[in-house]
Amino acid sequence: MKYHVTLLIELKDGILDPQGRAVESILQGLQFKAQNVRVGRVLEMEVEAGSEAEASAVAHNIGKALANPVMEVFVVEAVKELV
Amino acid sequence: MKVAVIQFPGSNCDQDAVWALRLVGLQAELVWHTEKSLEGFQAVLLPGGFSYGDYLRAGALAKFSPVMEEVRRLAERGYPVVGICNGFQVLTEAGLLPGALLANTNLHFTCKDVFLRVERTDLPFTNGYQPGQVLKIPIAHGEGRYYADAQTLERLEQNRQVVFRYVPSPSSPAEEGGGFNPNGSLNDIAGIVNERGNVLGMMPHPERAVEDALGSTDGRPFFSSLKRALGVVA
Repeated sequence: MKYHVTLLIELKDGILDPQGRAVESILQGLQFKAQNVRVGRVLEMEVEAGSEAEASAVAHNIGKALANPVMEVFVVEAVKELV
Repeated sequence: MKVAVIQFPGSNCDQDAVWALRLVGLQAELVWHTEKSLEGFQAVLLPGGFSYGDYLRAGALAKFSPVMEEVRRLAERGYPVVGICNGFQVLTEAGLLPGALLANTNLHFTCKDVFLRVERTDLPFTNGYQPGQVLKIPIAHGEGRYYADAQTLERLEQNRQVVFRYVPSPSSPAEEGGGFNPNGSLNDIAGIVNERGNVLGMMPHPERAVEDALGSTDGRPFFSSLKRALGVVA
């Protein structure tokens, strides 16, 4: 079976994110009351797996291979079976 | 004694590195990143550039190149391994050096001469410098902000693993107060070495400071140090 996976990689809390700061200052200029903006990355992919749990485990391993644990954390945002 | 200069897709300081190595009398050869053997090489240089277009993160994809297994093997056996700029990013991504290189605090790609203080001269890369010597070497990067967690940073300092540190220009001490640190690196770190002292990474480009025509020759002893360390007699 094929699953659609969404993986989110972002900087750890406490690490200065200058992109987030730049976006924040623009948002504030537009009068949005937004604070602590952080910019991350979303990776979308299709994986072959026998079950949703297996697809989730594969996604987790991909996150481990791609995220840099020194400064990033990753979250498997969603695993959806493709029909 | 031959030095392998690794070419990743997107490397662009590879020819300059070969030039600098040959200038001091070392043999240097370009090695494509899909090579699985570095047989016959006594040192490795990972050059600057934009391996894999800096996709995902600078250096993040290059660490999976086949040649990196062999680079790791040589590093473990104690051979000198140097990463300059993108090469430094590859070495941290591969876990051969601690810490990481993040986007410059000001988000600018910064291309200019900076001043570095040599913190150690007992290494295969710095034996030709004087302790505390200040060098003028150019930088050219967008992701050079050295980051490591507090414990790692403390360990680096205790073990004297910081080799190069950004310092104010000797001619304009007005820069005192932080303006001399071009990217927001913690502890003004420009280059570090592993505990064993054979794997070095630095953001500035010594290969771009080896001839008078380039505005500085302060990078030249970096390469002649390596030559001496490798026991090459001119």
